[in-house]
Amino acid sequence: MSTPIIQVAGLDKSFGRTMALDGVELTVDRGEIVVLLGLSGSGKSTLLRHLDGLERPTSGSVRVLGEEVPSLSGRRLRRLRSRVGFVFQQFELVPSLTVLENVLTGALAGLRGPRLGLWSYRRAQRLAALGHLDRVGLLDRAYQRADTLSGGQQQRVAIARALMQEPEILLADEPVASLDPESSEQVMALIREIAADAGLTVVCSLHQVDLALGWGDRIVGLRHGRVVLDTATEGLGKAEVMEIYGRVATATSELEAIERELAATSAATEASPGLRDADADADADPALADEGAR
Amino acid sequence: MTALAPAAAPKLESIAARAPRRRASPERIAAGLTIVALVAASVWALVDIDVSIAGIVDSWGNAERFFERVGTITFPEPAELVSLTALTLGLVLTGTLLAAVISVPVAYLAAGNTTPGPAWRAIGRFITVLTRAVPDIVLAMAFALMFTLGSLPGILAIGIHSVGMIAKLFADAIEQIDEGPRLAVRAAGGSKLQEFTSGILPQVLPSWIATVLHRFDINLRHSVVLGYVGVAGLGLEMSHAFKSLNYSLGIGIAIVMFVLCVVMEIVSSLIRRAMLGAQPTGRGLGDRFVRRVTSARPRTRSTVADASADAPAKVGAASPADLQAVLRRPWDGTRIRNVAWLWGAAAVIVAGVAVCDIHWADLVTVWAKVPAVAVQFWPPSFGSYDWATMSAALTETIAVALAATLLSFVFSLVIGSFAARNVAPNGGIRSGARLLLVGIRGVPEVILAILLIVITGLGSQAGMIALAFGGVGLLGKLIADSFEEVARGPERALVATGATRLQVYASATFPQGVPALIGHGFYLIDTNLRAATVLGIVGGGGIGYYLLNAGQGSNYDVVTSIVLMILVVQLVFEGLAVWMRRVFR
Repeated sequence: MSTPIIQVAGLDKSFGRTMALDGVELTVDRGEIVVLLGLSGSGKSTLLRHLDGLERPTSGSVRVLGEEVPSLSGRRLRRLRSRVGFVFQQFELVPSLTVLENVLTGALAGLRGPRLGLWSYRRAQRLAALGHLDRVGLLDRAYQRADTLSGGQQQRVAIARALMQEPEILLADEPVASLDPESSEQVMALIREIAADAGLTVVCSLHQVDLALGWGDRIVGLRHGRVVLDTATEGLGKAEVMEIYGRVATATSELEAIERELAATSAATEASPGLRDADADADADPALADEGAR
Repeated sequence: MTALAPAAAPKLESIAARAPRRRASPERIAAGLTIVALVAASVWALVDIDVSIAGIVDSWGNAERFFERVGTITFPEPAELVSLTALTLGLVLTGTLLAAVISVPVAYLAAGNTTPGPAWRAIGRFITVLTRAVPDIVLAMAFALMFTLGSLPGILAIGIHSVGMIAKLFADAIEQIDEGPRLAVRAAGGSKLQEFTSGILPQVLPSWIATVLHRFDINLRHSVVLGYVGVAGLGLEMSHAFKSLNYSLGIGIAIVMFVLCVVMEIVSSLIRRAMLGAQPTGRGLGDRFVRRVTSARPRTRSTVADASADAPAKVGAASPADLQAVLRRPWDGTRIRNVAWLWGAAAVIVAGVAVCDIHWADLVTVWAKVPAVAVQFWPPSFGSYDWATMSAALTETIAVALAATLLSFVFSLVIGSFAARNVAPNGGIRSGARLLLVGIRGVPEVILAILLIVITGLGSQAGMIALAFGGVGLLGKLIADSFEEVARGPERALVATGATRLQVYASATFPQGVPALIGHGFYLIDTNLRAATVLGIVGGGGIGYYLLNAGQGSNYDVVTSIVLMILVVQLVFEGLAVWMRRVFR
């Protein structure tokens, strides 16, 4: 197996007296689709921002694409960032610019000096940007102002902007938290498709367990800045899922609602009991043991 | 429970005695006394300047006699008038643009979210304070010594003095941006400069353009005063006319200037409205800039081939040919509008700079003269004047400023209250009051002052009335906005108790607005101090008269001491304002 694309070890981060991250360990292999699961304030965003060098750790190591991120600065940091796409919860498009120009800003790292206006980008880049817009299904909106688009469309533009970087890793920080359910589904599906097409490694933070279960290959649960869970999603049984809720979520109402939902779906999973049992054994996993030890 | 029961009168009294008195802090008392003292001083100044009905009737007589003596008002020859107007507009435009260009890096340093560090921020702030503090007239005098001929002294005086305000407002705009897009550029690996141009600039550009247009209006009004110290244009011609006692021509030019200011104010506010209304000026300006830098769009076959090779392998529904087609941006209404704006703006700027006929070579040779000029301004001295004369003149200027502020305040409070949505009895009255304020703001008060002073022959009275009039436009709007910003809850509560409109105003709206009123009052004093100095230059008496005299007599050391005196007074009032803001928060 090749070296992991992301390696976080013993990462601490404190803002003043609050501990945002506390001894976080995370290893992600190339091509993995990982969900960071946790409530708001659990440290998901802070962890993601460390992976892109937007935050400096208080202590610990963050290796991304073979580079020790905290030791980078200036041009080398920008080069690393250009290899890592970042999708924000609030899209963060420049509202007064056209959709196309917003996508083009993803190419800035490869250009020297400032860019103003569409025509300051090379023709090849404009073509590439249009291609990415087409990929997210918004080619016909290329010359509209970004703020004339709906939330879901804006997030797709933001994804196109990240693609413009031709990234190897895509980080997404609560990409659908500001969207309605239908747009959420579209955007999440789009990220998966694109990841599959381009062989991207994806680390995406979410706070909804049900969404995470259906989407990611692997779930890493965070709570109060600590990793409390790290498991593959494939073939998880009801007991394990409930365990995830117990670890990650706190709201009982949410727990109950999901329990009901699961009761309905588990009937389908019941068909393959052998698999379930096997998984249940396997999932006396290290994370659980760790947590118990504490 | 017992409190609700009806109680006997003596018992109530004893309850009142038990209620603890509010502890008045000494600082609050001192601040209150200072305000009382300031108001008393203003009343005294008002009496001393002798603004009375009798005085006004008297001045009417003066005006009649003046017009009998002058006869008809004459204007310059049409051709000359056009060239003078063009020169004035071009000079002000170039100076304002120069200030805008200088202001960009200064604002970048001074804004809290872009500054590289606290020391840089202090430097940025220092530049904004310093450039605002030195009067443009004094700058113009100094530059006139360095540049023998031409329009550069005026351009540089306007350009440097305006940096203070423009950079301050630019920095405010930067501090108000949404940090998200900037963060996105950083996350994509953009450099600091790219963060600025792609993440910040598009967000602040509309506000920046509005600021520059606003400053253009101010500078145009002020250019008439610059004429008194030799800056070419309508102002210079007017001062020449007055100096040679050709009053009919002087008044004619003043009227032209007056109309010009009003027209330009309307034009700039129309532009601001059109721009801030909807469409992206940001991209527009970018387009213009870029189209000049890069030549025409590349259309050769080879580029196309390269492009398709570079294009990503994965495309959705669209074929490379489709993408090529989309690459050509459609000429829709927005684009046509933007491009029209751009070329219009570019044409105006080029024409404005061209009409100034700048001696560019002077910019290279001037540096050798700087030491010699600096020596003339330092050390400060009073020359042939004594301290008593100067302090009396300064007192007169302060008196004019205070009296004008008091008059403005009284009228603004009335008009401003009616212009506030939550005070005005109905929409009609509110719109009427707002319209009145806009109308008053549109009148260039310096030119009004010149006209009044020349016509009535009464220096400080006429100037003070002009200042007070102009102040109503500014202060009335600020007061109206402040009243509209007070919390609505207390008003609703009083309405619910059955209070009358006036009672609600007095008990809920006004008390909440008091801190803002005090702040605005001090702001107006600050503005009026500068304006009162300027009045002296155009014949209104006070310290400005000595400033002009010293400049024309080449006693630049006296100029320095006068500027320092004015600065000290301004700092004192600035300090008072800061203190008041803290105490009456």
